[in-house]
Amino acid sequence: MNTVIDKPEQKTAPLPDWLDPSPWLGQSHSAADVRHALGTESPNEETLAALLSPAAAEFLEPMAARAQVLTRRHFGRTVQLYVPLYLSSWCSGGCAYCGFASDRQTERHALDYASVAKELDAIKAMGFEEILLLTGERSPKADVDYIRDCIRIAAQKFHNVAIEVFPMAEEEYQVLAEAGATSVTMYQETYHPETYDLMHRWGPKKDMPNRLEAPARALAGGLRFAGLGALLGLSDPQYDMLALYRHARHLQKTYWQAGLTISFPRIRNEVGGFDAPYPVDEKMLAQIVFAFRICLPDVPLVLSTREGPAFRDGMAGLGISKMSIASKTTVGGYGDEGSEEGQFDVSDARGLDEFCDMLRTKGLEPVYKNWDAAYRA
Amino acid sequence: MLKLGQFEFNSHLILGTGKFSDTETMISAIQASGTELVTVALRRFNQDKPDDDLCAPLAKLGNVKLMPNTSGAMNAKEAVRAAQLGRELSGSLFVKVEIHPNPHHLMPDPIETYAAAKELAADGFIVLPYIPADPVLAKKLEDAGCAAVMPLGAAIGSGGGLSTADMIKLIIRDSNIPVIVDAGLRAPSEAARAMEMGCDACLVNSAIAAAKDPAGMAKAFAMGVETGRAAREAGLMPKSDIAIATSPLTSFLG
Repeated sequence: MNTVIDKPEQKTAPLPDWLDPSPWLGQSHSAADVRHALGTESPNEETLAALLSPAAAEFLEPMAARAQVLTRRHFGRTVQLYVPLYLSSWCSGGCAYCGFASDRQTERHALDYASVAKELDAIKAMGFEEILLLTGERSPKADVDYIRDCIRIAAQKFHNVAIEVFPMAEEEYQVLAEAGATSVTMYQETYHPETYDLMHRWGPKKDMPNRLEAPARALAGGLRFAGLGALLGLSDPQYDMLALYRHARHLQKTYWQAGLTISFPRIRNEVGGFDAPYPVDEKMLAQIVFAFRICLPDVPLVLSTREGPAFRDGMAGLGISKMSIASKTTVGGYGDEGSEEGQFDVSDARGLDEFCDMLRTKGLEPVYKNWDAAYRA
Repeated sequence: MLKLGQFEFNSHLILGTGKFSDTETMISAIQASGTELVTVALRRFNQDKPDDDLCAPLAKLGNVKLMPNTSGAMNAKEAVRAAQLGRELSGSLFVKVEIHPNPHHLMPDPIETYAAAKELAADGFIVLPYIPADPVLAKKLEDAGCAAVMPLGAAIGSGGGLSTADMIKLIIRDSNIPVIVDAGLRAPSEAARAMEMGCDACLVNSAIAAAKDPAGMAKAFAMGVETGRAAREAGLMPKSDIAIATSPLTSFLG
């Protein structure tokens, strides 16, 4: 079933020059170009374009080998662990692909503070030290004050509190940093302006530049880490991945003290039914991850439980250096029964112990704590 | 095109003017190098004694801009004063901030250099600080408003070459302003290597002044810089062979 998508109402603004991937699109790459990219000492947009090209699909094995060498060099034989907690499914957004979009006939929940504490205690008891708190778009049930208070509760229990919420003003991010948040994740979903406009049918999220600048505002506001990503499947992956790379490089050069992470969420069949216009299969996803590892050797690359066990096991340490596990995408669900429908279906339902056993079998050490509350704002 | 502040230069070679046996040799080396920017120490300005003054003969070279430097300054305060005097006497907005309190190894003082560079940039100077090859310091100087950073390849006058290559690569990777290797280069091939790595320019003095034929060496450095720059643009071939692991890493992809 396809979600009906309205025609765009307004003309979309083009991407700024520092982000526009157009100069690197539409070129044809040869096997020689791919070999050249694989051996380059100073990767750039050209390198990434070559490694994302159809020609590079024949080089997955050497790309994986290079990705593994670089991952080991920068992260050792470790995989950092985190877990998400959905605080609220209230949302003012109209994302065509999301199970929590405001037109979905789903029951809405927001955890009260006592439930937040209970959920966090249950997660802490599992052994996690990094918690990712999520909400939907800005709504009266989950506004800045609510998120700030949830961060305060989490900061008493966890060393690293990350948030994946809605774009805010710099002053609002400052409030969250002072409350104890260390990291912000803000996926652009797609960098392609026309597609962005189509997919985000109403609500504040329609303002693409506002979302684009949010990671910079968060870093200016005192958050130490920014997580970037694009939702694979929405638009041409070449376009989105090149823009994502340029976004990351721009932030690295501008907010040079900030840490970045990059995630590779891929559209699965969300609740409500949505067919990805540009489906990305596992081989292409692997190629993308390897390409990013080669082009951004020291940036942590993240893979969530959207992907299945076999793929995740294969990718651990092969570019990927950070993973979630034991995740619920329902509101709550760790301490008590969660709400019935999640934002997306979890494809890797293994528990923490089983997952860590797998990592150790592969010679990888699971890392729970990689930050300390002492460094908070 | 090398862009520093509001000025653009065709040549990617900057020359230092000290250590030459005489003014004529210096001028002929500058002309042979094709450089459009030279640095001269404020302490070598001498308006009262023309035959001891480096500034006047350089000022006569119409196509070459002057960049006074603060060599001799022990700290930020002295460097700022030297820069202001240099601007007054030369009429140039360029300043090379150079503070090396130890007169033996001449290693730059990063703390005093940062303080002086920040103050001078705020005062409207086009600031090019001479620094240790430190990527963090380089970003802080960029944030402070410098027009370029000039990490050392090796100690001044040592001819040690590009001993800091790995650090300079990191500086280049994240810099939004030109990166100029200053100090340490001995051979034109090292200048070529610096440019191949992605440096925007090289600043050379001792290697030219102390060569048997300074003008000849100046020309050779000009060619080295251009060769490296052309190679950078042409794209070096990859170094590593592509090895295939015996047990495939990607078999899980089916």
